[in-house]
Amino acid sequence: MKNNNMSQLNIKQNSEVGEETSPTILLFLRRIWLNIWHGNPPGPVLLLFGLTVAIIMSIPIIYVIWRSLFAGAERWMRLLDERIPRLLWNTLSLTAAVTVCTVIVGVSLAWIVIRTDIPGRNIWRWLLALPLVIPPYVGAVTYIIVFGRSGWARDFWRDTPWLVNSFGDYRVNIFSFWGIFFVLSMFTYPYVYLIASAALRKMNRNFEEAARSLGMSSSQIFWKVNLPFLRPAIGAGAILVSLYVLSDFGAVAMLRYVTFTAAIYFQRASFDTASAAVLSLVLIALTVVILWIESGTRKKNKYYQTANSYREPSILQLGKWKPLALLYVSAIFFVSVFLPVSVLVYWSNIGIRMGALNERFFGFALNSLRISGFAALLCMLLAMPVIYLKNRYPSVISGIIDRLAYGGYALPGVIVALGFIFIFNNHIPALYRTFYMIAIAFVVRFLPQSMQAGEASLSLISPRIDEAARSLGYPPWKVMLKVILPNMLPGVLAGGALVFVSSIKELPVSLMLRPPGFDTLAVRVYFEAHEAIYHLAAPAALLIIIVSIIPLRYMLSKY
Amino acid sequence: MFDIELKAVSKKYAGTEEPAVKNLSLAVEKGSIVTLLGPSGCGKSTTLRLIAGFERPDVGSIALAGKVVSDSNTWIAPEKRGVGMVFQDYALFPHLNIFKNIGFGYKANDHNKRITEVIELVNLKGYEKRYPHELSGGQQQRVALARALTRKPVVVLLDEPFSNLDADLRVHMRLEVKRIIKESGATAIFVSHDQKDALAISDSIVVMNEGVVQQMGTPREIYQYPENKFVATFVGQSNILEGKMARDEESVITDLGIIPCSHTHGLKSGEEVYISIRPDSFEMDPEGQIKGRIKESTYTGESIDAVVEIVFDNGTRRDLLTHIHPEKEVKIGDLVRFKVLPHFIAVIRHD
Amino acid sequence: MIKSKKSIIVLLVAILSLSLYATGCGKKANTPAAPPKGSENVNTDPGQLVVYSSRNERFTQELLDKFSADTGIKVLPLHGAKELQIVEEARNVQADIFISNDLGALGYLHLEGLLQGANPKGIETIPANFRSDDNAYIAISLRARGFIYNKDLITEKEMPRSAEDLFDPKWAQLKNGYAITRGGNGGMIGHVSALRYEWGDAKTAEWIDAIRKNSAGIYQGHSEIRKAVGAGEHTFGLVNNYYFHQQLLEPTNNNVGFIYLDQGQGQMGAVANAAGVGLVKGGPNGANAIAFLEWLLLPENQAAFVGASLELLINSQFGAVYPPAVQPHIIDFKDLKLQNMPIKELGNYFQDTRALIEASGLDLDLK
Repeated sequence: MKNNNMSQLNIKQNSEVGEETSPTILLFLRRIWLNIWHGNPPGPVLLLFGLTVAIIMSIPIIYVIWRSLFAGAERWMRLLDERIPRLLWNTLSLTAAVTVCTVIVGVSLAWIVIRTDIPGRNIWRWLLALPLVIPPYVGAVTYIIVFGRSGWARDFWRDTPWLVNSFGDYRVNIFSFWGIFFVLSMFTYPYVYLIASAALRKMNRNFEEAARSLGMSSSQIFWKVNLPFLRPAIGAGAILVSLYVLSDFGAVAMLRYVTFTAAIYFQRASFDTASAAVLSLVLIALTVVILWIESGTRKKNKYYQTANSYREPSILQLGKWKPLALLYVSAIFFVSVFLPVSVLVYWSNIGIRMGALNERFFGFALNSLRISGFAALLCMLLAMPVIYLKNRYPSVISGIIDRLAYGGYALPGVIVALGFIFIFNNHIPALYRTFYMIAIAFVVRFLPQSMQAGEASLSLISPRIDEAARSLGYPPWKVMLKVILPNMLPGVLAGGALVFVSSIKELPVSLMLRPPGFDTLAVRVYFEAHEAIYHLAAPAALLIIIVSIIPLRYMLSKY
Repeated sequence: MFDIELKAVSKKYAGTEEPAVKNLSLAVEKGSIVTLLGPSGCGKSTTLRLIAGFERPDVGSIALAGKVVSDSNTWIAPEKRGVGMVFQDYALFPHLNIFKNIGFGYKANDHNKRITEVIELVNLKGYEKRYPHELSGGQQQRVALARALTRKPVVVLLDEPFSNLDADLRVHMRLEVKRIIKESGATAIFVSHDQKDALAISDSIVVMNEGVVQQMGTPREIYQYPENKFVATFVGQSNILEGKMARDEESVITDLGIIPCSHTHGLKSGEEVYISIRPDSFEMDPEGQIKGRIKESTYTGESIDAVVEIVFDNGTRRDLLTHIHPEKEVKIGDLVRFKVLPHFIAVIRHD
Repeated sequence: MIKSKKSIIVLLVAILSLSLYATGCGKKANTPAAPPKGSENVNTDPGQLVVYSSRNERFTQELLDKFSADTGIKVLPLHGAKELQIVEEARNVQADIFISNDLGALGYLHLEGLLQGANPKGIETIPANFRSDDNAYIAISLRARGFIYNKDLITEKEMPRSAEDLFDPKWAQLKNGYAITRGGNGGMIGHVSALRYEWGDAKTAEWIDAIRKNSAGIYQGHSEIRKAVGAGEHTFGLVNNYYFHQQLLEPTNNNVGFIYLDQGQGQMGAVANAAGVGLVKGGPNGANAIAFLEWLLLPENQAAFVGASLELLINSQFGAVYPPAVQPHIIDFKDLKLQNMPIKELGNYFQDTRALIEASGLDLDLK
């Protein structure tokens, strides 16, 4: 087969000569443009895609900054004098306490389950991750039912004479710092637990054996070899937890502990949006500080494992500690999963018999499903350009887009909601208080979950594939959609699943932005639990948990 | 007719001191196979990527099939250059079967017919429905090559295509790939750091070092008549000696004696020169003029690579690389005598 | 590997396409419910009504469901809405009707020009001082402030009888103290407005401070207080009277009593407030809003407005139905000594009351 007419064919295909001669200024700008992209700029379609996402993500941040700048010095002074110091104390002390507790619990559980011979290791591994499917505000509700002033515990105590005689009246106050501290710790420890487990599983036995051959004892090995190795994992988990505590709304509102998020919500509920914005700014500042700490530790997180020499870490024998370890693990599981779910099942039972699963209920469930499904779809689509740009076309601009995307994620839901209300009410009224507005708000909140899942998959695809596709005639955006996306599908879908679950559980945005007549399951749980109508709240809460279990497999496989 | 022309192309990556490619000019004839040969970091991969359009040159122009694709006023994106590329890791699309991989991006009317043609060309008939992960390394490479050839590109660029294959497969694939390319009539540019590959398949070799072209020529020219020290020592092994041109201008006077040398660049009598003597130029001869003692010896199966220490009349010592026939028995410390064969001796440039 | 990938894809595509299909059916508009009962135009779509309500969801939803059933108009409710949301959305009106627990809030909205006047049929059943002059808002039910107390923990004689009593810190010494709501609560706002009218700002500010310090529990809403008092978690609580009625209906913890404030000689009289509805100006479904008003003014529906809330009906003659346990305790409001502040006045006090409350810090506190 000779190439006689080969050249002619090709000239037709690549017949464009290219740009015409450009004047100097354009040349200059082009040079700057090329420099930003290190000589490899993305196509216009791809770039536009990415910028659109960035703009959407920055809505709440812009709003908050704008509004608080115009709040007036007097208001700032008033807030700084009275509210802010107390809120700072409340919020920071809670954050610190919960973070420390979850780190201790999470690391110890990970250690026990991964490295020791505790009976039933394989089951415990995923059982202990289950609290992830229980939204903390649901957990708070169940604990109020059990330990509240009219709760089961109090009834039990009252009816048990020797308790009353020895210790006096029932005195456990769930509506206190310790209450919220306990609830938040029990339902967020899985973040640390999972990350620590993943790190422990990757630990190379060789390190420990080398240490042992140098004469170190087991406990020395733990402190000098294992713990330092775990430090990045601990750091990552701690940051996830502290960001979560900073942003939590449902649980603190339920347990009546006023942190910044609750203050912002109530401030806004009394329509002092300017004060709400000021408080939001302080909260954002706190978040930024934490993120800054995180990126500082992330830089040190480069671990190189020589793939060929990897051996799984050894299993430690528990011996006489076995019953204690078993007790500990069971206790945590009982408190964080078994008890709450039992409470919910009990009340759901009552509720179902009283007809709680009526048309209204299914209406709410359908609302949750619709909005979450739509948000998941949007996220899967919109995450692509951002991560593709970041990975294949790294530059200052891609970096900014990426960081803006994470900005919305780190912001507490109430702030996102505030920003959306302001912008949409005043500037895009057509979409105000519609289904679509909530979906976009969810995207702002959860896009990074989609991004992270996608990024992991994308990094496994060699850039040579992109270049091969380009050499065969596809422009960058087409490469992204038709070559890279299909190969990332498991990662993208996993991301979509995560967003779906987060959306079903989400509370503050759903509460503040919902259109009339469009309550979601989470909103129902909030209202009904407030009125102590547990037989209605429980089935909704249980449904949320059941739906959250479905993508759990994906969440766990990530770790 | 030149299919590919690079004129005075230079490129420096941001953040590095030295340019990756310095003032490179290259012209490739239609239908020929050229190899860019050199050590890591010599700029050969950069050159390839410049031709493909994945990098932009700082200065200089690149033209494909007579059309300028890159210069100070022009830039044509890679997807529009009609260049076929075969990557070191093949970069086959995992989500498509072989048929779809090969046909990717091919839009003409004879889609199926053309793909079948190409599959036959690379001897993969019957594998159309398989997926890349189901094929062996050699098969994957053939798919990658087929995919690049489907569109009848101006040039096929191959980046270290054989480095992922083990020795036997390598030898076999070298022949296969050369056959396929020649049969399709394509122009091809290879990039390689392995001189054996380069020597085996190329019509012409471009030796590069540190971004600069060291020598261009046929394999024979490169091997037998290296023009500078780098080429002499990079392609094959070599002993470099100083000397002076002899009166007859056909030999060189060195400490080893008078060495006959045919390739002299027309230098005049009395001029100072360097010559390169390949280890194969020495033959063990009990009456040879060169006397030395074996310092090291390594048996490679094909020969014995020996380092022989020579003591000159003026007392200086010198190590020489030699190849001794593998059936001879030599030990370290043996006294041996060599003579110089007139093959593989070349005068090289003074730098 | 491919098989499992495919099944994952199938599963998620199923979920997503389901949601997409559902998305297509819903934005703001939903298809209307059953055709109207006894309506002539069976073919035309009766439309919708957007109702914002700051009233307790349980009572309100029943009322709205009845309205839908009677007229076929689909109601889109937003419960837990605050009156100032209407203010915020002034340029982009979303609501047709605002149902409020606090006439002060309705009055305030009226002052701000956010409600519009009407002349619905049956308006004359509402006494003039329980509606605005242009009928932009009307009150249907009445409530008065008082103390709900746990009879096991305290007797009626020992109870404080006046709001002024709460200045005295001794009430904090009672077993488990007493409970109040957050300052943002509608009932509290109304109460404070009345006190300002009576005492002026300075004394009122002190009073707020006193109850903030001395109360043992500060709650989101009155439901929680009545349950807490009924269960003995506090000795008494400051609530609206109909919460007392509701607690009487509880299967347990219902041994409670109620004191209407300031009934004695020379005392100012019970602080009263009313719950009602306002017609939002420029709402999307104006005609249906009027229809709602006219429907509401029918005697049976005024009674239904009270419904399970067990408030007192302004038009008590329309015979709101109360369960047997509650009936004996129902007081005709004409028999009650009420503070002489015209209820309509509450609107003028609204904004500044909120500022005063916030300045005292009662706004956010939850204990």
